[in-house]
Amino acid sequence: MHSFYNFVSGPLAWIAFLLFIGGSIFRIGRMLVLVAQKEPFIFTYMSWRYSFRSILHWIVPFATVNWRRQPVLTVVTFAFHLCLLAVPVFLLAHAVLWEDSFGIRWWSLPDTLADTLTVIVILGAVFFLVRRITRPEVRFVTSASDYVILAIVSAPFITGFLAYHQWFAYPLMMGLHVLAGDIMLAAIPFTRLSHMIFSPFTRAYMGSEFGKVRHARDW
Amino acid sequence: MKTIALVALSLIIGTVLAISPVWSQDEMTVVDNTDFPNAQRPPSVFVHDRHNENAGIDDCAVCHHVYDEGQLLEDESSEDQRCVDCHYLERMGDQPGLMEAFHANCKGCHEQEGNGPILCGECHVR
Ligand code: HEC
Ligand code: HEC
Ligand code: HEC
Ligand code: HEC
Repeated sequence: MHSFYNFVSGPLAWIAFLLFIGGSIFRIGRMLVLVAQKEPFIFTYMSWRYSFRSILHWIVPFATVNWRRQPVLTVVTFAFHLCLLAVPVFLLAHAVLWEDSFGIRWWSLPDTLADTLTVIVILGAVFFLVRRITRPEVRFVTSASDYVILAIVSAPFITGFLAYHQWFAYPLMMGLHVLAGDIMLAAIPFTRLSHMIFSPFTRAYMGSEFGKVRHARDW
Repeated sequence: MKTIALVALSLIIGTVLAISPVWSQDEMTVVDNTDFPNAQRPPSVFVHDRHNENAGIDDCAVCHHVYDEGQLLEDESSEDQRCVDCHYLERMGDQPGLMEAFHANCKGCHEQEGNGPILCGECHVR
């Protein structure tokens, strides 16, 4: 009766975590090796100070010219990414599973708050989808993979929302939710979702080059 | 005549509604969750007697156990006590916290037996 759920939350979940962690380490390692081989001089001007100055500006809403130029997109982008990270990491049900399975205690959000943040993620995904379809300048740079990524990211939230409220076929929805989560985790290092791991490096590099070489700001 | 009938009817319905909680106290249908401050989920379904009959559990001490210095006492049971009398909200050494005690006891057996609910919403039914 629970065989589908047991499979996606057992063996498949281990594989997904392994791919996520192993894949992330592999991608970062390969990036460092490539830089060392092809453009080792980059290491000579990398600077902690300029790196963090750049990262700090870009993680604060409206702290860069680009963020100010498109206020609506900025608000949605920040709300979306913040909720996207906070909900899975601090969801009560996930904390309960960590505690039941491994005895690890973890902080969690009240369920009603997490429910609201989930709706924000789903609405954010709808916003990005509509924007891709309706804005010519965005559609021009859009490929099929952009839609696939949007689907991969929103699926765990849509299925999680439906499972939490127990609206349709609850046990099936629960299984689909875990499957969607497995797929998203495994996809992070190997798709453009890898901006999750690479964006700090990209910013550090840009910040250092602009700060130390060009003596300019990159925000 | 109609008014009297209506009044009588509402009186009957009111009385039934008022005493029905008293009746249902005889039979336990959910595990009380009021010991959890600010409970996040609906209380877990648990029709005590029917559950134990269907699951074929004869030994009360499977759930109502007694420990002495970490040793499970085979012939003793603690159904005169509530789980919360020994299992506090926070874990104490080897003694699991209240939620963990319920989940390990209930879900633990269901997983082991390959029978009975293991998903949150199968116990905490909305
Ligand atoms: C599957 C686990 C389980 C088994 C087996 C079990 N109980 Fe219970 N019982 C509970 C739980 C859980 C409670 C609620 C405890 C609480 O709220 O702290 C309870 C409560 C009780 C209560 C007090 C509440 C009430 O109004 O019913 C009595 C009395 C009781 N059980 C007797 C028994 C007896 C006698 C047996 C053996 C024939 C037994 N139980 C077997 C789980 C179990
Ligand atoms: C008289 C006190 C007492 C009562 C009442 C009690 N427990 Fe326990 N329980 C303990 C102690 C002590 C331990 C720790 C045992 C050890 O040291 O390993 C324990 C351990 C546990 C464990 C983990 C070990 C195991 O047996 O799987 C679970 C699960 C558990 N209790 C569930 C419950 C539930 C559910 C209830 C209510 C139906 C309950 N307990 C009632 C004292 C109690
Ligand atoms: C020792 C094993 C065991 C323990 C402990 C146990 N269960 Fe069960 N439970 C079962 C089995 C076996 C079934 C399936 C019975 C059937 O086939 O109808 C079941 C079925 C259920 C069901 C679905 C059927 C029904 O009776 O409504 C619920 C809900 C349930 N258990 C809740 C609980 C809760 C809550 C606890 C802890 C307080 C608990 N169980 C502890 C073995 C156990
Ligand atoms: C086998 C039945 C069972 C399953 C499956 C189960 N629980 Fe519970 N849970 C209980 C029981 C029994 C309690 C004790 C209080 C009660 O009745 O809610 C409890 C207590 C809790 C509590 C503390 C009280 C509260 O509402 O804040 C939380 C939180 C909780 N469960 C969340 C979960 C989550 C999340 C899942 C799925 C990952 C889950 N439970 C799966 C039976 C279950």
